[in-house]
Amino acid sequence: MVTAIGAHTLRILSHPVEIAYFFTQFLKLLARQLGTGRFRFRQTVDQLYSVGVESAGVIFFSIGVVSLILVLEFSFHMKLVLHQDSLVPAFSTVLLIRELGPVVTALLLVSRVGAGLAAEIATMKITDQIDALRLLSIEPFDYLVVPRWIAVWLAAVLLTILSIGVAILGGATIAAIKLGYGFGEYFNSMFTFSHFSDLIGCIIKASVFGNLLPLIACYHGFKAKPGSEGVGMAATSAVVEGSIVVILADFVVTYLFYTL
Amino acid sequence: MMAVLRNSAWSTIGELGKTTMFGCEVVGNLLRYGTPFRGLLLQMYVVGVRSISTTVFTGFFVGAIMAIQIHLQLRDFGAQAFLGGLSASVTLRNVGPLLIAFILSGKVGAYTTAELGTMQVTDQISAIRCLGMDPIRYLVAPRFLAVVVSSFLLLVIGLMTAIGGGALIAALDLGVNTLNYVQNIPTIVTGWSILTGVAKSFVFGVIIAAVSCYRGYTTRNGASGVGENVKSASVQTLVTIIIADFALSNWIGGLMDFCTEVLGW
Repeated sequence: MVTAIGAHTLRILSHPVEIAYFFTQFLKLLARQLGTGRFRFRQTVDQLYSVGVESAGVIFFSIGVVSLILVLEFSFHMKLVLHQDSLVPAFSTVLLIRELGPVVTALLLVSRVGAGLAAEIATMKITDQIDALRLLSIEPFDYLVVPRWIAVWLAAVLLTILSIGVAILGGATIAAIKLGYGFGEYFNSMFTFSHFSDLIGCIIKASVFGNLLPLIACYHGFKAKPGSEGVGMAATSAVVEGSIVVILADFVVTYLFYTL
Repeated sequence: MMAVLRNSAWSTIGELGKTTMFGCEVVGNLLRYGTPFRGLLLQMYVVGVRSISTTVFTGFFVGAIMAIQIHLQLRDFGAQAFLGGLSASVTLRNVGPLLIAFILSGKVGAYTTAELGTMQVTDQISAIRCLGMDPIRYLVAPRFLAVVVSSFLLLVIGLMTAIGGGALIAALDLGVNTLNYVQNIPTIVTGWSILTGVAKSFVFGVIIAAVSCYRGYTTRNGASGVGENVKSASVQTLVTIIIADFALSNWIGGLMDFCTEVLGW
């Protein structure tokens, strides 16, 4: 009983400690790359293409549909509470910038990119490609993780901002079709409640998510057990842990940024 | 550019169609042969009971986040009295099912895909076929049913926790006491909102089950294929869930208007 509790506690506690160690490794190697001027620019750009450009379609489509739902639901609630829906553009834009834009983008990136990274690195590990890199005296962490990390970080921030733009267009369209707004009317009253600080908060959120996501994905990729079962488990736990951490980090950042 | 877009759009639609046909096949199989109760319980334990803590945790924080956001918007009008009703309603109808289903698509869906995919690439499914048994009936059908039932129940549990999370953060930090919060909920949340949340939960459960079973069952190319399929299963689940969310919001809204205005209920 006591042994079981102890083992369980150790297992739970060792997890964040290992991830934190992973993070310090990343910072050290990034500093070394920047310090010696051997920043792996090519790999980073390649990864930025495969992470950012190839996920853009899915993310823009999804956030566009989310914004349609958001505007319709807000109009429903406004009619219930205020008996009119003239504030829908302002309210839905605020919620989009502060909350749904960063979170939906991050959750989509978790499954598109997080699972992909974990599966890719796990496959490399079980087919001994990582050992092959070591034999060529290339530090695998330096070669594989750092470029992906920077790419995911940049992609998360850029995609979040672009997807908010897409979502605003989607919201304006559905408001014009279903609620009888003109486009000009919508864009005029859109920023009534949002401030510049909301955009800063949104970028902070996106870059927090963009840092956590490759951290967790690469960690699970490197810890993969051998066999196809190990690859599946690595991808699964990257998705699960990634999404939970996104929700948790969202709560923490929202709390710190808006209520303090 | 246009050719690429057209090809990817066609292949997406094709995948959706194949997933639907696979889902219909599994449901037909379930209706014809049924499924052993013990196997179903075992699967429900594996995918359902083990995900309860994750769901409760997520639901709690989703509710808390929505309460903070709605509070920020209402504060400018001095309308904090509506906090309970509005945040419970937004969470129940819209944001709650969406975000909790996102988490479940990883926890329940990706797990099922990885498991069936591993069986497929290690030839366990072919082995079952060699023994003269139907893999859809013995492997896929119980998992499908278990994922539908447990995703539905988990989503409902998550939505209830979300309301609790909202009430707790409102009382602790936003200065709206729990009695006001709870008493305000029935003024805005109607039966239709609850119906919307529950209907969305059920449909999302079916989507998670169909996509994850289809993707797992059709895995190819060894270990890297398993990883690739887990990824595409979770992306496909997310996109399908978002589309279904929009459609359901629209249809249930239309049904509500029909019932209240035409039938006068």
